Amino acid sequence: MPVEIPKDNWPGAVRTITLGATAAEGGSRRQVVTVGGAKSLPFLHFEAIHPYRPVIALEIRDRRPDDWSPLLIKTWQEVVDDPASWAQAGEKLGVDLIQLTLSLTKADGSSNTPANAVNVVKAVLAATGLPLLVFGPGQAEVDNELLVAVAEATKGERLVLGICEDKNYRTIVAAALANGHLVSARTPMDVNLAKQLNILIKDMGMPLDRILMDPTTGALGYGIEYGYSVMERLRLAALQGDTMTQFPMIVTPGFEAWKTKEAKVGEGVPAEWGDWEARAIHWESLTTIALLESGADIVVLRHPESIRRIQAAIQELMTQAEPA
Amino acid sequence: MALTGIQIYKLLPKTNCKDCGYPTCLAFAMKLAAKQEELSACPHVSEAARAELAESSAPPVRLITLKANGNEFKSGNETVLFRHEKTFVNKPGVFVRFSDDLSPAEIQANLAPAEAFQVNYVGISLALDGYAVASVTGNPEAFAGAVAAIRNLSHKPLILIARDPQVMAAGLRVVDGETPLIYAADQDNWQSMAELARQHQAPLAVRADSLEDLAGLTEKLVAAGVEDLVLDPGGRDLATSLSRCTQIRRLALKNFRPLGYPIIALPAEASTPEIEPLMAAQSVAKYGGFIVLSSFTPELLYPLLVLRQNIYTDPQKPIQVQPGLYEINDPGPESPVLVTTNFSITYFSVANEVEGSGIPAWLVVADAEGMSVLTAWAAGKFDAERIAKDVRSFGVAEKVTHKRIVLPGHVAVLSGELEEELPGWEIRVGPREAVDLPSFLKQAL
Amino acid sequence: MADHVVRFTESGKNVQVPTGSLLSEAARLAGEEIGQPCGGQGRCGRCLVRVEQGTVRSRSSLRIALEDQQAGYVLACQAVVEGDVQVSVPEQEKIERRLTTDRTAQEVGVPVGYQYPRDQTVWRLHVSLKPPDMDDQTDDWSRLQNALRQQHGITILNISLNLLRKIGKVLRTGEWQVTAIVEYQKGEEFRLIDLIPKHVADSQPLWGTAIDIGTTTVTLWLVNLLNGEVAAQVAEYNGQIARGEDVISRIIFASKNNGGQILQDLVLETINSLIERACKRAGIQPETIYKASLAGNSTMMHLLLGIPAESIRLSPFITAVNQPPLMRAVEVGLQLHPEASVDCLPGVASYVGADITAGVLASGMDDSEAIRLFLDVGTNGEIVLGSREWLVTCACSAGPAFEGAGVQDGMRATKGAIEEVWVNTNTFEPTYRVIGGGKPRGVCGSGLISLLAELFLTGVIDKSGNFNLELGTPRVRNGEHGPEYVLAWAEESSHGNDIVITHVDIDNLIRAKAAIYAGFTILADSVGVSLEMAEDVLVGGSFGKYINVEKAVQIGLLPDKPWEQFKFLGNTAVRGAYLALLDRKMRARIAAIAGRMTYLELSADNTFYEAFTSALFLPHTDLSRFPSVADAFALPHV
Repeated sequence: MPVEIPKDNWPGAVRTITLGATAAEGGSRRQVVTVGGAKSLPFLHFEAIHPYRPVIALEIRDRRPDDWSPLLIKTWQEVVDDPASWAQAGEKLGVDLIQLTLSLTKADGSSNTPANAVNVVKAVLAATGLPLLVFGPGQAEVDNELLVAVAEATKGERLVLGICEDKNYRTIVAAALANGHLVSARTPMDVNLAKQLNILIKDMGMPLDRILMDPTTGALGYGIEYGYSVMERLRLAALQGDTMTQFPMIVTPGFEAWKTKEAKVGEGVPAEWGDWEARAIHWESLTTIALLESGADIVVLRHPESIRRIQAAIQELMTQAEPA
Repeated sequence: MALTGIQIYKLLPKTNCKDCGYPTCLAFAMKLAAKQEELSACPHVSEAARAELAESSAPPVRLITLKANGNEFKSGNETVLFRHEKTFVNKPGVFVRFSDDLSPAEIQANLAPAEAFQVNYVGISLALDGYAVASVTGNPEAFAGAVAAIRNLSHKPLILIARDPQVMAAGLRVVDGETPLIYAADQDNWQSMAELARQHQAPLAVRADSLEDLAGLTEKLVAAGVEDLVLDPGGRDLATSLSRCTQIRRLALKNFRPLGYPIIALPAEASTPEIEPLMAAQSVAKYGGFIVLSSFTPELLYPLLVLRQNIYTDPQKPIQVQPGLYEINDPGPESPVLVTTNFSITYFSVANEVEGSGIPAWLVVADAEGMSVLTAWAAGKFDAERIAKDVRSFGVAEKVTHKRIVLPGHVAVLSGELEEELPGWEIRVGPREAVDLPSFLKQAL
Repeated sequence: MADHVVRFTESGKNVQVPTGSLLSEAARLAGEEIGQPCGGQGRCGRCLVRVEQGTVRSRSSLRIALEDQQAGYVLACQAVVEGDVQVSVPEQEKIERRLTTDRTAQEVGVPVGYQYPRDQTVWRLHVSLKPPDMDDQTDDWSRLQNALRQQHGITILNISLNLLRKIGKVLRTGEWQVTAIVEYQKGEEFRLIDLIPKHVADSQPLWGTAIDIGTTTVTLWLVNLLNGEVAAQVAEYNGQIARGEDVISRIIFASKNNGGQILQDLVLETINSLIERACKRAGIQPETIYKASLAGNSTMMHLLLGIPAESIRLSPFITAVNQPPLMRAVEVGLQLHPEASVDCLPGVASYVGADITAGVLASGMDDSEAIRLFLDVGTNGEIVLGSREWLVTCACSAGPAFEGAGVQDGMRATKGAIEEVWVNTNTFEPTYRVIGGGKPRGVCGSGLISLLAELFLTGVIDKSGNFNLELGTPRVRNGEHGPEYVLAWAEESSHGNDIVITHVDIDNLIRAKAAIYAGFTILADSVGVSLEMAEDVLVGGSFGKYINVEKAVQIGLLPDKPWEQFKFLGNTAVRGAYLALLDRKMRARIAAIAGRMTYLELSADNTFYEAFTSALFLPHTDLSRFPSVADAFALPHV
């Protein structure tokens, strides 16, 4: 019997945003990465063409992380002591982006400095041709100090600088604005707060094609339902034409999943939880797939096996099996 | 289309007689609109109004029930496309598949751990919903033997998978009197399968590789007297499956009856073993009603069932975290003790800020019945007495060497009373907003 | 480029300016006094002039009513000279009356058709008794009853022991000519309130009082029950404030130790001092007041009557009583005539009290064909939506900010309060208007609304309310409580201290306005009605005399509707109490309103939280709800 497939014809679309700049564009990246452009909900190829696939960023640190699960340290081995090699390992794995988080302290325990941050960022840029996202340690004053120096030292690279939050966005936005970078705007799992921060950043004169939004998601079992629904609602609002929600979404399922007890810990947990490593990878990859289904454009991951699986899933999700 | 409160109100007697238990007819109408009350509570409603209201409340996705030895599983009754619109209602069932090429002994050996699997997530016990038995041999006796082997060990509902009606009939005979799901009727076998479904009064899955064919089949089956149906729209890759499931749900919500049934998803047949868990997760989020996995793997089942729990929580109800003493950033005996409520958004925002600050701390999550600090305080669920009780019962004093506790700034008024309730403790007033916690922790403590 | 002549009517001065000049520039050249508190941005409307001959091109006419535009009024700072013109510059006071957004509360009008004694329940009756003698040994009380029956048809009369003790003396002092004050109770029953020697002249007023007990402000009107005239209006902060700013804190305070007694004493003290003040103003004695009608939220009613209020706060939020019985002043503790009738008006629920039922009555929306929206802004914002057919209501906790309390330099709308503010877009310097003129002492609710709007429009704060510390003006500085804006320097204020608005104040104001706006949206959504469908918005509350609609819309407190649709009713609770005091039909209508209002409990689910956070932004996260504010941003200067 004939069935009329209901197609939504949305008036809005997600903004198309390009990360990184090649030498010709004033940067030094071998390739740039473009995200966004969606004109329908994720992967509904019968409804609209999806010009850009979601991309994967590998999360690395400027020094060996103290608080990461031993599983992660075991799998990455010695590259965790050298951000440049770590980034190269990620590139070999086929990730699209490198997300470098600066730490509060250097490996020797002393406070991180702008000069050190600049050196690390430059080393990573030299080691890989992938576009780079640089996040501060998450303390307003230190973030501002480190990121301003990084922004100035890498003018024109179209880095993504983060993390802008509603109580601390002016300095980072100003630095990105002056040096041709992008910003990532993070808000705590709330549609309105996400939109408000975007407006505040726009009000500072930031061009709209240089803003990513991070709605914060929570991990599986730890509030992902909020993040999931907030993302669906943000994406629906964008498609309905609300310009202040039309930014690509960056999410950090690697960070979220690996801080859960289920992923982080292997001992003293119930036997029903099953094999530790397999469970941890499921935790990260299931968190990620749920976020992809709800509209994530950039997923920041940690474990190579999760990355492989998500690469395969994205490829399958982006393959249009049936004619539109 | 659902009616608004005012539209319903106009159909009611408008006498404010209070016989329904609500102070006004409008209050009752709004409860009806929110589907939190039955029209029958009004003894005075007219027949005409009753008919009109019934029309607007038929479920777009038919409710399907599997039964076995007193165990029941329900799927369907969904009313929205997105969980934030209202809520998803009946969680998709997770079933593990066994093939009839295994010997009864092998089946029972594999089944035992699956049957025993039970994991606790925030006080909720999660387990499998049932099993699927698949005919791969094509042999009716083998199939019946496999069904019997499972039935010997488990009382959970079953999905019987066979294309040959004779094989299916053999399996059904083993579980006569139960209500398993028959999988599946297709273009070729639908008449015989319909006959079996009628005989056993069991729901029937329908399989086709396009929505047109699927809708055509369901029409024929309904005409043949089988009304409890489940849809398998084919498409074993992630993209096709997602598209077809979305289309089905959209059509169902538009009251397109031929597709107004729950969906069965088969991650067991995913393109690769690596994709299977991801397809299962996709089916949880995107409209699966029954999910069949290829094997029992606890390390996958646990996250999958947690995801299901998360996606199917009612977004209208504030959810709670377990009250207790939470450790953030590996606190020691010198670390500060903070107090907050067990409203999950409150908890997450406080925990995230403290965690982001890198400062180790103990977080007392008091039982405030899932309300935020201000609401709970206003409602009397977050007072000095309760906080003191929780501080004692969580054994905070044994974890720290100091006796200092930080109250949320919004309830600064409680500090005096809390000092009385907790003699010897110093009560400090923290910031009102979680976002100010890191600087408070650094400067004030 | 051509020059044009601009001629000013009143002064007769002429100036020549090139094409494209603004009228305000021409005025400056001519030395004309034109106010430009906003810095010539077309925002404040204070440079209103009338073009009498010729035409100008007007870039914006944001604050001018259509009929005034047609009459030639333009904003000098927005009017581009493109030919010779003659311009009249009105006096400043006249301008303020013309500007469509400055609406004052209506003067109190006696309700049309009020007739004493027909509508009144308290009567003053002349009674002439036959003196007793040895043949007529009837007792005093029976004698009085008989006389009232024969002369006034009162068949059943009740009396208190206190009054019984005194009638013998009064009858004899008056030589059997007395005046009785009686109150109609029910059926055939009356109650004797007072007995006065001699016949009181009919020209003497018969006093009653209407009182609204607000969480923050108590308001009292002294009323002549014979003709409905209001002889005095007084108001004061509720003495309970010191024991908690909102109803929840009060309830908690009341539940501890002797807290209930303390709060009861405090509010009685406030009311009694207001009674005294009103009486002094009218030159009368409190004992001559025989009737009081009281409005107030349910918590205030409970605390006044000494009824435990704890259950109001706790789920499922139940009051001890919504409709208190008629009482006597001596029982309640009001210093009126001890036997005076005290009528506490009926409420609906814990958070929708008699202040709202009275307010709805005063607004008349319960008898309206069209759907209307009523808002009472107090410490709680109570909102009612509906018509003759249905009424739905909710309460949202706004806090006391709009009454000037809980804000560093906030004050009530009395003499010395800054009630309107403009901030210059270029220099960030403020201009303000002070109630009663003179040096300012603080800022009242309407001033705070105005200030918030101006700080936001000029970019002193961002849409989240955060100060921009890089503007290079000494007005924005880091104070004791974080960033703040100095509205008046110490030497400009009456108390010699800086008047500031702090970051915390701004947060409070934004929360307050967000709570109220969220209430609007939820109420409308709950019944599936859009705010546009409401024919008008009736605003009550103690904002102050003026509230500038435009600014209240700019900060997202009021929905963005055309100005004509807003009506300011002043303190509707006290006005409703006043109507009930006078007219028993009105009193019956309040009871009917209380019976049919549907109360929506906002704490029941997440929708309030959602609507609230989206309103925690200036004017709102969803700017499409505020097209006029979007337009204001599109002006050339922004």
